[in-house]
Amino acid sequence: MKIRTLFLTAIGATALAAPLAAQDFIAGLPREDTLIIQGPAAQNADWFNLWAPGGGASPNGNQQLSADTLWFINPEGSGDDAWQNALAASRPIYNDDFTQMTVELKDGIFWSDGEPFTAEDVVYTVETQMANPGMNWSAPFTINVESVEAPDDHTVVFNLNAPNSRFHTLFTVRWNAAWIMPEHVFSQVEDPLTATFNPPVSLSAYVLENYDANGQWAIWRLRDDWERTSIGMTLDEAPEVEYVVYRTAGNPDARVIEQLNHNLDVINDIAPEGMFTIVEQAGDTTAQWLPGFPFAHPDPTLPSVLLNNQLDKLSDPRVRWALALLIDIRAVSMGSYRGAANIAALSVPPTGSAIPDYYVPMQDWLIDYELDTGEGTIQPYNPDIAEQIAQLVTPQWGDSIPEDPELRKEMFGFGWWQQDAEAAAALLRSAGFTEQGDGWLTPEGEPFEMTLQVEGDNIPTLARAGTIIAQQWSLNGIPTEVVVAGPTHTQRLDVGDYEAAIFWTVETWGGHPDLSFFLESYHSDFLVPLGESQPPRNLNRWQNDELDAIIEENRTVPFDSPRVAELGMEYLQLAVEEMPFIPLMAYNKFAPFDTTYWTGYPSIENPYSASGPFWSNIRYMVVELEKTGG
Amino acid sequence: MNTLTAYILRRLGQFVFVIFTGVTLAFLITNLSPVDPVEQSLTQLTSFGASDPRAVELMRESLAELYGLQGNLFEQYVNFWGRVLRADFGPSLSAFPTPVITLIANAAPWTIGLLVTSILITFVLGNLIGALAGYFRRSRFLKVLGMVIMTINPIPHYFIGLILLIFLGFVFPIFPISGGAQMNRPSGFDLGYVLSVLYHGFLPALSLVLAGLGGWFIGMRSLVSNVVTDDHVLYAELAGVKGRKIFSQYVARNAMLPQMTGLAMQLGQIFGGTVIVEFLFNYPGMGRLLIQGIYRGDYSLVLGVTTISIFAVAFAVLLIDILYPLIDPRVKLG
Repeated sequence: MKIRTLFLTAIGATALAAPLAAQDFIAGLPREDTLIIQGPAAQNADWFNLWAPGGGASPNGNQQLSADTLWFINPEGSGDDAWQNALAASRPIYNDDFTQMTVELKDGIFWSDGEPFTAEDVVYTVETQMANPGMNWSAPFTINVESVEAPDDHTVVFNLNAPNSRFHTLFTVRWNAAWIMPEHVFSQVEDPLTATFNPPVSLSAYVLENYDANGQWAIWRLRDDWERTSIGMTLDEAPEVEYVVYRTAGNPDARVIEQLNHNLDVINDIAPEGMFTIVEQAGDTTAQWLPGFPFAHPDPTLPSVLLNNQLDKLSDPRVRWALALLIDIRAVSMGSYRGAANIAALSVPPTGSAIPDYYVPMQDWLIDYELDTGEGTIQPYNPDIAEQIAQLVTPQWGDSIPEDPELRKEMFGFGWWQQDAEAAAALLRSAGFTEQGDGWLTPEGEPFEMTLQVEGDNIPTLARAGTIIAQQWSLNGIPTEVVVAGPTHTQRLDVGDYEAAIFWTVETWGGHPDLSFFLESYHSDFLVPLGESQPPRNLNRWQNDELDAIIEENRTVPFDSPRVAELGMEYLQLAVEEMPFIPLMAYNKFAPFDTTYWTGYPSIENPYSASGPFWSNIRYMVVELEKTGG
Repeated sequence: MNTLTAYILRRLGQFVFVIFTGVTLAFLITNLSPVDPVEQSLTQLTSFGASDPRAVELMRESLAELYGLQGNLFEQYVNFWGRVLRADFGPSLSAFPTPVITLIANAAPWTIGLLVTSILITFVLGNLIGALAGYFRRSRFLKVLGMVIMTINPIPHYFIGLILLIFLGFVFPIFPISGGAQMNRPSGFDLGYVLSVLYHGFLPALSLVLAGLGGWFIGMRSLVSNVVTDDHVLYAELAGVKGRKIFSQYVARNAMLPQMTGLAMQLGQIFGGTVIVEFLFNYPGMGRLLIQGIYRGDYSLVLGVTTISIFAVAFAVLLIDILYPLIDPRVKLG
């Protein structure tokens, strides 16, 4: 009796004490003035030096709210509106042969400690990093810059080692860029590689208020002199967001709960199932990039089936095309994203300016494209396949799928390759492969088998996509084993230690048709033998003379020339013909916004800013949000 | 040399051997890992920005030099032992140039606090209930309680954590589901902060307690069931010694000895952290640090955490070995 009484008393006391111990979610910050964003954990929370690898979490607000540089490109935008002059007063000015770039800087910008921002800060940024190998932008500056000078406080002149029409992109933010260092701070430290830059001196509208020594959160406060910053100058009145909290919010399930509890306004990414839960349970207090299903935000990256072009069995475009034609993209979309994927047949992500610049104008070419299988020709492109996916999910999400066919294309994609096992078999036969039983022999007489490498649980949607594709290849006579590589995934891709893999080797500006962002590294000059580290992007190890010619011409064309998009189309057509890798879809992220306290989030209807919490462009969203009074 | 001194020297020899073998294996395994810290850092640096291939190669060379990864494996091994003896694990490669020991010092108090507390609560509760259930075998309440504990026992602790997270964090949002303490509250030994830490640690601790209770309960109930039939207990009962005294002095105390070994082993393992619980509740600690180190190929950090863990486990075993002869005369010293 006594034991039972004691036991029940203990449980009762705990139940009573718990509510008494309850505290405000964040000490000392009015919730209605505070925007809470999912951030990454900082391994070394004391580190705010963005210019040296120190284990700090640069995307915990440091690069989004405090740092600044010359220009930004809105990855969601298109045309002139996507370009934003930040610290620079105008676009970059090159001489005729692109060996010199002049930058005009805005006047009236100050660091948060009251020091004026001048051209000397830019010169110091470049010279200091060149003098300290190991700093984050040391290598590109060393390769490109012969000298840098400041004729006056608001002009910087870069003299380059060789012609480079894209040099300004080092200072142009997509996700990040070379941030400007405060000369008056770093000139006082002994070693810029080991200086923590704590507390950071801000060049943008927010300044560090407090942070967790364990790297769980960082709080940023609106500067009193916010109007003396590049972003502040664009505003008519003070931003309503007084505090921004970047916090780690736990595992994906916990993030869903935190947003449903109104403790997390902006989520970076959750599983599709989590997104659907939020929409179903809190649709009235939730906003997202797409107004209806699939609710996702497509990043300007392109998950694809990478094919190792340097392997004999994958060196023939006919074999690569055969593998593409064995994929049923509808099953991949349903199985990986439960239909919430934005499929892509072209080798650029179907986002931002790529829609008007490439996807829309190239539809006719894709529909008319003829593929010679060796035993005849087929027109492999099915422009209705995304619509078929929309039909598949309609029974569950009917009301939230818009009728507008144009909007549907931005949600589900345009078209993709029609699965065609007969054409794939014809291609393999024409490439010298022979059928044996249910399988195939290579021209060398070896069984044609594949491995398909995925990272694993870290990106579950892509791991699922890889598993489904492996099943489809296996069912069509090419036994395929899924290899889960975990943290060694990118390293194995780097050295060509794979046959096929799910990853992305194409990333674009999003808001600009120029493809040099990834394409420059596809030049054959940078190709290395198997076993050696391939520079990022061309992990397919694709080599093609026509491709080289496109890249070389792109280097000589001004960034904003109409020729840039033409060259982009030439690359895309070549990529269809050669199929060096098989583009699958945009990297859809499920990033819902809680509208309990804040409204005015960007969306596909009003893409004024990036919405991804880790993207530096999100600063343009933070200053535009409005209070709901919630 | 008397018997006790010889016994202690033998145990010390074993302690040194365990440390040497464990640390050497840890060094070899981490250094033979295919995850390259330079490539991981390069991936971080080039994942999102434009990446000039010539610059990437230059960065690769600079980082290899910066991280000090030159020298063959044997030279690195000798240097490593030198650093271990100075309690200096060098700079973290994923948080360069921050010393590994600094990262561990930040994370360790959270893990130690959570695990020591939950292990001790689990130990006391599990053994108490187990001893009572073994002694008062006819108590219906203890039978029901035992069945509940046995039902929970096979459930993986991450699943228990997930249920607690949903039930007490969302359906009845009583407890916080993330973090170690209230955000923006100055840390220190004031009542508000201590309450905040206890409040945030409640669900992680509860999931560990519920998951760990069964093991102690089953072990102690079995031990007590055996001890109650021992001659000295029967004699005590026949001699009219009070039941409470028999339970505490004659039964529970004797049954506790093997449990103490288990406790020491568990306490020694706390430096490895509890990865899943820390992940589930976004709790700061050694487990999360270790996982980050593994994923980033930061073998300085991984080695730092594992070396401390090896020392802790070996020391706990040594301590128990040395104390055992003092508390249990049945242990032979010869």
